Amino acid sequence: METFEPVIIAFVCNWCTYTAADLAGTSRLAYPTNIRLIRVMCTGMVDPQYVIKAFLEGADGVLISGCHPGDCHYINGNYKARRRIKLLKEILPRFGIEKERLRLTWIGASDGIEFAEVMNRLNDQIIEMGPSQTNLSKAI
Amino acid sequence: MMIKIEREENSLVKGLQQFFKQLLETQEIDALFLPVGLKGSHSVMPSLVVDPAQLEDVVPLSPAFPINSGRMVSRLSYKASGRKTAVLLRPCEMRAFVELVKLKQGSRQELILIGMDCPRAFTTSDYTAYMKDAPLTQDAYIEKVFSPDSERLNGFEFSSACRTCENPFPVNADINILLHGVDLSDGVVVESGSDEGQEILKSLNLKEAVRPDKRDEVILQIKEANARASAAMIEEITEKTDSIEKLNAFFDRCINCYNCRNMCPVCYCKECVFNTDVFHHQPVQYHQWAEKKGSIKLPTDTIFYHLTRMAHMSHSCVECGQCSNACPSDINVFQLFKSVAQKTQAAFEYAPGMDENQPPPLSVFYEREFENVVGIESE
Repeated sequence: METFEPVIIAFVCNWCTYTAADLAGTSRLAYPTNIRLIRVMCTGMVDPQYVIKAFLEGADGVLISGCHPGDCHYINGNYKARRRIKLLKEILPRFGIEKERLRLTWIGASDGIEFAEVMNRLNDQIIEMGPSQTNLSKAI
Repeated sequence: MMIKIEREENSLVKGLQQFFKQLLETQEIDALFLPVGLKGSHSVMPSLVVDPAQLEDVVPLSPAFPINSGRMVSRLSYKASGRKTAVLLRPCEMRAFVELVKLKQGSRQELILIGMDCPRAFTTSDYTAYMKDAPLTQDAYIEKVFSPDSERLNGFEFSSACRTCENPFPVNADINILLHGVDLSDGVVVESGSDEGQEILKSLNLKEAVRPDKRDEVILQIKEANARASAAMIEEITEKTDSIEKLNAFFDRCINCYNCRNMCPVCYCKECVFNTDVFHHQPVQYHQWAEKKGSIKLPTDTIFYHLTRMAHMSHSCVECGQCSNACPSDINVFQLFKSVAQKTQAAFEYAPGMDENQPPPLSVFYEREFENVVGIESE
């Protein structure tokens, strides 16, 4: 049987999670290559639209990851992101896109090890869930 | 305070027209904004009136509203005009306007808001058929619609928005026109909702009235009946659209005209992203999509558009039903959006348009909240 390789899109903030990814890299920690990082300046700039687009274009999972509460480089961008994730977790499951396919985490700049662990865990979770049904849609 | 507007020549409508005439003739008010029947047509459109003589075409309690006036009032009030305007709004229009005020796209400063018990409405297309088909007089319509159990009228069903509306009563207004629980053979009751409203009512020197004693009971009955209808509708539409495939089928006739957005009173962006170059795709993009999926339907971005709109405005949806009214393909967009709005509004404990001081959910945030959505093992 062909193994399922999910497509996971991760929006990571420049100041914390992206820096953590960098640290993971320089520390030679491996994380799954099917997670595609998109660096954004702040999780507060991730419009719900980006997440919806990712799912409709066939992503099996979406991660948004930024600074811990209180650490946001722009003071409160991560709080705005959290409300938007709450909103999306109400809307997407209504149309069969499971809540667990959308994740929000806080990973600080010095948490290279945690970054690699979270990415591995996320990948395992999505593989277990199987492919997203949106993939099959002829309309977007 | 409460006053009574008596019938004029045995007509409620004429009585109300006379009331608006008196309002316009007071010193405080320079203009009225209210539904007016257009000459030579069945259409009733919100109009700005300054000449008391032209108030005879006012349709205060119309069986249809082709547009949500809340948005129109925002156009009249987002900047000072130096004039005081009294505006008559249905409850859903009032709620829409309150939402726009919160977003600083309108101001109550120069307005007197007049709310009313809702006379319900047909869809615009049903209204056209109803008017062709020997309609009731305005007075007969009012008497019927405010009598118990009026699901259908002259064989026409009210719009799904009206049948499932749990708040068809005035909120946040300076002056409230009350019809539920009122003995209409006598006239209608008008209640002040603010100090400014009270001053104006006092200056009219009309007969004082008492609060209709059956009103609370009638309100409760309507709320309960409509809540039941709403729950049934939401269950049905949810079952019909609970996967992306089913959602595609639901929007199979959508032609991306964006009328639902244009007529939505709380779709608040000055420029919609769907009108920008972001969606002016390169030809090669369409080919890439087709190559990836085998085929692709054009116009593209239909589901993307509707889901994005849900994420942007569903928490502020006032459930007026104008999205369905505006759809040229006859898709009941309203039912779908209401089913989503119910979830997003509950998530933020938000009641759009009900409390002027409750900030829209995405305009505020706190350090400690919604912690259960964070983390790799979260909900």
